[in-house]
Amino acid sequence: MATAISLVPLLFISIAIGSAATILAWRARPEPGSKPLVALLVAQSWWSTCIIFKLRAPALDAKLLWANLAWIGVVAIPVAWFLFALEYTGRDEYLRPRYVGALSVVPVLTVIFALTGQYHDLLYVRPTGAELNGVVLFEQGGPWFWITAAYTYILGVFGMIPILGLLTSDAVAFRGQSAALVVGLLAPWVTNVLFLAGLLPTSGVDPTPIAFSVSGIVYLAALTQFRLLGTSPAPNKRARQFLFDRMQGGAIVVDANDYVVDMNDSSVRILGIDATDVLGGPANEIIPEYDRLPEDGALPGHLTIGDELGGHPYDVTSTRITNVRGTPIGRVITFHDVGEHLRQQQRLEVLNRVLRHNIRTETNVIYGYVSRFEDDENAKTVKERALRIEEIGKKGRKAIELFDKTRDRTEPKSLHSLLDRCIESTRDSYPKATIERSQPNEDVAVAGLLRQVFSNAIENAVEHNPSDTPHVWVTVEMEGDTVYVEVADDGPGIAEYELAVLEDGTETPLKHGSGLGLWIVKWGTDIAGGEVRFTENDPEGSVVTIEVPVLSRDAQVVASERSD
Amino acid sequence: MGYANRPLVVGEIMSSEPRRLSIYSDGTDHQYSQFVSPLLTHLERTKDVLIHTSTYLVFIAMVQVATVMAALSIEPNPALAIIGLVTFAVYMGDRIADVDTDEVSNPGQSSFVRRHESVLSVLTAAAYGLAIAISVLGGPVALGVTLIPGAFWVLYASDWLPTIGSYFKRLKEILVVNSVIVALAWAISLVFLPLAFADAAFTPVAAVIFFYYFLDTFVNTEIPNVNDVEADEAIGVSTLPVVFGVDRTRQIAYGLDIVLVGFVVFAYLRGLLGSILTLAILVGLGYALVLAAFVGRTEHESRLGIAGEAKHLVVMAVILALTAGGF
Repeated sequence: MATAISLVPLLFISIAIGSAATILAWRARPEPGSKPLVALLVAQSWWSTCIIFKLRAPALDAKLLWANLAWIGVVAIPVAWFLFALEYTGRDEYLRPRYVGALSVVPVLTVIFALTGQYHDLLYVRPTGAELNGVVLFEQGGPWFWITAAYTYILGVFGMIPILGLLTSDAVAFRGQSAALVVGLLAPWVTNVLFLAGLLPTSGVDPTPIAFSVSGIVYLAALTQFRLLGTSPAPNKRARQFLFDRMQGGAIVVDANDYVVDMNDSSVRILGIDATDVLGGPANEIIPEYDRLPEDGALPGHLTIGDELGGHPYDVTSTRITNVRGTPIGRVITFHDVGEHLRQQQRLEVLNRVLRHNIRTETNVIYGYVSRFEDDENAKTVKERALRIEEIGKKGRKAIELFDKTRDRTEPKSLHSLLDRCIESTRDSYPKATIERSQPNEDVAVAGLLRQVFSNAIENAVEHNPSDTPHVWVTVEMEGDTVYVEVADDGPGIAEYELAVLEDGTETPLKHGSGLGLWIVKWGTDIAGGEVRFTENDPEGSVVTIEVPVLSRDAQVVASERSD
Repeated sequence: MGYANRPLVVGEIMSSEPRRLSIYSDGTDHQYSQFVSPLLTHLERTKDVLIHTSTYLVFIAMVQVATVMAALSIEPNPALAIIGLVTFAVYMGDRIADVDTDEVSNPGQSSFVRRHESVLSVLTAAAYGLAIAISVLGGPVALGVTLIPGAFWVLYASDWLPTIGSYFKRLKEILVVNSVIVALAWAISLVFLPLAFADAAFTPVAAVIFFYYFLDTFVNTEIPNVNDVEADEAIGVSTLPVVFGVDRTRQIAYGLDIVLVGFVVFAYLRGLLGSILTLAILVGLGYALVLAAFVGRTEHESRLGIAGEAKHLVVMAVILALTAGGF
């Protein structure tokens, strides 16, 4: 049976380990949690020390004094633990002096009650005397004793909650840390419960600080093995909050009953409200047309927020949040300002109209007037140039159509029929050109916008070929879910500077290509999620390889798209 | 550039070949290289470890405590172990903390500390933790004395309590105050720890020993500052060599050692110190005066520092010799 005296060596060990761990934690500053951990380990070592001094004190008064001073360590531990858990898991906003002060009220009162014990029975009744082995025995604790005990356990449990959260962390190091911290906490807590229940034969000596030496070993191991304070999860929570707060779009979190539970800075700005006024209030009071929002998904059309003078259109999306069992527990409603996008779209529409209508009309007029002149070489040149201007206008319009968001750009279309149309239209425009085609029997569906890409690639191959009988080879190959359309010609090849401009992705007044055709090939392929490569043909000419994903191989889908 | 150097390297390797052959042709040399060289390397490495880890200081500190115990007729007690452990923790801890600044002044030590930093860090923490646990055996006074270095660590840390931290950090920069703090902490530890464990009172004899160690440590703290004049000046730390120059510092060291000689003789005449102890301390002070003459006049300043610390071994050796000789 363990006696009080036989605990002494264990108390010494707990002091040695506690002090060593204190120094290591001290050196880990300013890592999150290091200061509260220092306080916890000092408190534990102090508690053990006071027990030893109490046991070795010759007189009853001295024993009483050390027993009372031990309370400093006893009550500091739960506060330090709680603060450690908060800071370590990134909740350092609670480590302000006023919160620490509030948490310390019960511990400070406890120490005061302990040191003034001769005047009242709040903490415990009077000592009954000393036993032969030097252990002071007290009667049952007074009312404040149970308040302190309850407070200690509450802080212990509250501190464990965020730490346990680390157990579910994806990072192995954090899981190791969390497990170490929980074991380090449970050892003394379980010991204390057993001691208070009278289940430990320690002759009235509280062995809890000895159990804290187990915590010390665990913390030390965690410091060295799991890099307890070197690898800290503290920034995680802050980073998520930071992203939520600073994201450009507005975000409002509502619970299952449509009450606002959180909102970011942008949503406060967008809605022109004060977060403190609306948090906890009904969402339909702050979000216009709230009832029109879908449970999950995007709101059709736009939502205009603001007064008539300064209204802004927003794309609003509702995303359902579910718990681990898949039950909906709320939604995140996000607001994306589409004002600029809509304005840009309007500009494109105007440009489109200008390119489609005005340029064509003007060039037709020029063409008509020139036809009245004598049919000499000059008039022929002017006519050709007028036709080219119209062609540029047409291509510009096609390019704008590529970016027009209102159309579904990735609508699947049959590859065979797309190529059929492109080749057919090129043959109509250039009857002397020979266009050969080789493709597998299997047809697939690709993005519909590729029609512009193929047609430009094929037309370019013919158009820029000075030969009287230009030759173009269109080859289709398939590899898994990727289709390669190669357009090869026997022309002079694409000039280096044209390719360099495409590679840069932008043009300048000094460095630019000769037209829009290659740009349409590049932009269209990019939008379809593919890539385009330009190589030289053997013995002459160029090869444009358009690599795009297959959207469907389903024969029925492809057939239906073909019939469009 | 690299290729230009190549023929030279090849030439060096080739020229070394005949020399290596001649070693193998001589059996004695071979044996020498097989046994003596590794032994010398091993000894050299052990010496480096002892110096880099301050282990020699641990031994010297324990000899100082033993001297106190002999002077005060106290039986050997755990104070010996505590002083050893604390010395290791404090000096090694300092070397870990100063590993960056030592890189220029003491590259060998700096690279040793950097290589073994994690092990040394745990060892110093464990040493101090063990010292604290043992000190609890000696009661509250022993615990308090053992906690003094820890208290200074806390006070110097300006991030702990910013106002107090920076105030104490400034104390480090003030002339004389910095060395007085070190000397006081050291003298308190050396004298009060053995007393606390023996449950003995602070007698006039103890006061004499206390003053002796206080002044002696003060001198031994200022002398190594001769090496660091430029560095101390750069960081704004006032030491005797920074303020008064090296020559005047040497004279101050002479003066203080002579004051100690007078003080020890006075204590002997008043019957506070025994003849063996008095003689031993005087021999030690004589040794210190000789060393003081080298201050600022030798190129081996770090060896001078170690030699200064070894004075306590001289004192103990004289005590043992005289006691064994039946004086």
